[in-house]
Amino acid sequence: MALDTVNVRLLLRTSTFQLSVRYMLLFTISVLVLFGILYWSTVGSLYREINATIEAEISGLAEQYERQGLSGLIDVVAKRVQRKQDERSIYLFADSSLRLLAGNMDHWPQDLLATGRWFEFNKATANGGTVPVRAKVLSVGRNLRLLVGREIHELAELKRVFKRAAILGIGAVLLVAFTGGLFISIAAERRVSMINRTARQIIEGDLSQRIPLIGSRDEYDSLAININAMLDQIEALLSGIRHVGDSIAHDLKTPLTRLRNKLEELSVDGSRDGTQQIGLNKCIEESDRLLATFNALLRIARIESGAYRSAFRTIDLAEIARDAFDLYQPTAEEKQITLACHCDYTERLFGDRELLAQAIMNLLDNSIKYVPVGGHVELAIQSESDRVKLTVADSGPGIPEDEITNVERRFVRLDQARSESGNGLGLTLVRAVVEQHRGRMIVENTDPGLRVSLELPRSTLGAQ
Amino acid sequence: MRLLIIEDDKNVASFVSKGLQQAGYMVDIADNGKDGLFLATTETYDVIIADRMLPGVDGLTIIRTLRASDITIPVIILSALGEVDDRVDGLKSGGDDYLAKPFAFSELHARVEALTRRQRDSRGAESSVLEIGDLRMDLLRRQVERAGRKIELQPKEFELLEFLMRHGGQVVTRTMLLEGVWRYHFDPQTNVIDVHISRLRAKIDKGFEQPLLHTVRGAGYRLETGDVNLSSDPA
Repeated sequence: MALDTVNVRLLLRTSTFQLSVRYMLLFTISVLVLFGILYWSTVGSLYREINATIEAEISGLAEQYERQGLSGLIDVVAKRVQRKQDERSIYLFADSSLRLLAGNMDHWPQDLLATGRWFEFNKATANGGTVPVRAKVLSVGRNLRLLVGREIHELAELKRVFKRAAILGIGAVLLVAFTGGLFISIAAERRVSMINRTARQIIEGDLSQRIPLIGSRDEYDSLAININAMLDQIEALLSGIRHVGDSIAHDLKTPLTRLRNKLEELSVDGSRDGTQQIGLNKCIEESDRLLATFNALLRIARIESGAYRSAFRTIDLAEIARDAFDLYQPTAEEKQITLACHCDYTERLFGDRELLAQAIMNLLDNSIKYVPVGGHVELAIQSESDRVKLTVADSGPGIPEDEITNVERRFVRLDQARSESGNGLGLTLVRAVVEQHRGRMIVENTDPGLRVSLELPRSTLGAQ
Repeated sequence: MRLLIIEDDKNVASFVSKGLQQAGYMVDIADNGKDGLFLATTETYDVIIADRMLPGVDGLTIIRTLRASDITIPVIILSALGEVDDRVDGLKSGGDDYLAKPFAFSELHARVEALTRRQRDSRGAESSVLEIGDLRMDLLRRQVERAGRKIELQPKEFELLEFLMRHGGQVVTRTMLLEGVWRYHFDPQTNVIDVHISRLRAKIDKGFEQPLLHTVRGAGYRLETGDVNLSSDPA
């Protein structure tokens, strides 16, 4: 699966990705701690060195003042300024109105008055630039101030480099962690989607599907092995249930058939008088109807189990519709119902010819049954981009609105249908067939009349 | 006509054999696959009725063995499975017809008749004209006439009549018609086929003294000349 086929939004929601985001944060914090330690042991120690130098100078000058008084201090400062060609040291001595008494700067830096604290400011240089300076102010005597500082050009440079390295480093870490997390998520998502795909196919009725194993013996593989074992178990149980169901149906069908055959035997022997013969014939008809209901139930169960899917092939829905139309045309005509068929073009589908034919015939049968004499029934096929829509619309009484939802549900028969001839399983079978074709059945009142539409995807798992 | 029934279910075997004996067939019964295969290869039968699930050798194996030794006796497979894929399996193995259990005796009888008839027909040359009484069907020109009078038929009606004529004198069930004419293998809504038959009947029997197309109550239809049979019910 390439990145573009993965839904990125879904991917960002995966637990793997969330986990990798958390790791990313943890990573960032550790990198920050690492940088902190490096900073403390390099830049920090340089600071401490500079601070110590300045402190030493200040304490030396304070001692001078105590020993030689104000003039002595001015003298010493002037001497130091004079003597030290080293421009890195800054000395300023000023009175209460910040008038300079001595020092190597031409004015007192603004706002730096508080004593006993560290300041940093930029000192203008001769060539028009500035140089960063670290300094401390000492209060001397009455309202006199002594500033001692050092240029910290290299230190500032080092700090800048450090800052840049930290930003770049953390950026890189975030990038690596994010893309790494994304790729790990894709790999995990691929395994999970394999499981999901299999689960979906099973939900759709194909119980034979199993999750493919990669053979990596990781936790996904062992999950897949367990799920597959679970599915084996479910399949075994289900086939057991189906077997029980089949044998119940079979057990009921067999004596019923025997009964029917006995009745037929009696009927054929011909020794009965008129009323007895009529009674016998009625019994045969009745048992035939019961058998038909059993067969319909068994067939629906069989369809719903997905047993026909393996026999799906490419078929022409229009041809099947025309067949059904041909088959029902005489019945409709006999009831003076106009039956029309608009299905002229080939409509290829992946499906089962018999099942679709039976579904269409059931719909026609229903419509013809309920449409009053002189009404009309129309069978039509519409081609849509990814699906084919088959509709059977009639001019009959329709279905009461509150019953429409019932007809959409499985195994629910309408009261009206139950009282009519037929077993009332017609639409249940249609629904089962449509579901096997991954399609949809829509029942709607058209006032007057009923319209049942079957929407069938063109390639019902044709790519399987 | 001599038949062999290979069926382990005693009830089914006796019910089928009783019915077929009454219908005038000579019937042998084997209750397991091995005996069945032995009888089928050593004796001569017109039709074999074999259950698919049998103790010992199963039904499909029997058919395959027979076909492999060039024995072409038609075989009807009986099966409790009765679904399309199983039917396909059965016919692929060389079976000639397939019937799902439980079945109405009339359905089996009709199919046995159809197969014995096919057996007889296949010995003679395929004719391009079918005749029943004064009803005549020309398969090449696709024309039908009765007593010299031309009858216009729709294509499906023609196919329906052709099927009935090919099975002339035999009972043809509605299921057989849906299979043979419409090529569908499910239970037909009975009256759909009935309406087709009554239309066809209106075309071929109306205005003639002697009806040809008879309804056999509880079973199906029969196209035949001659006197009305006790079990027939001319419309």
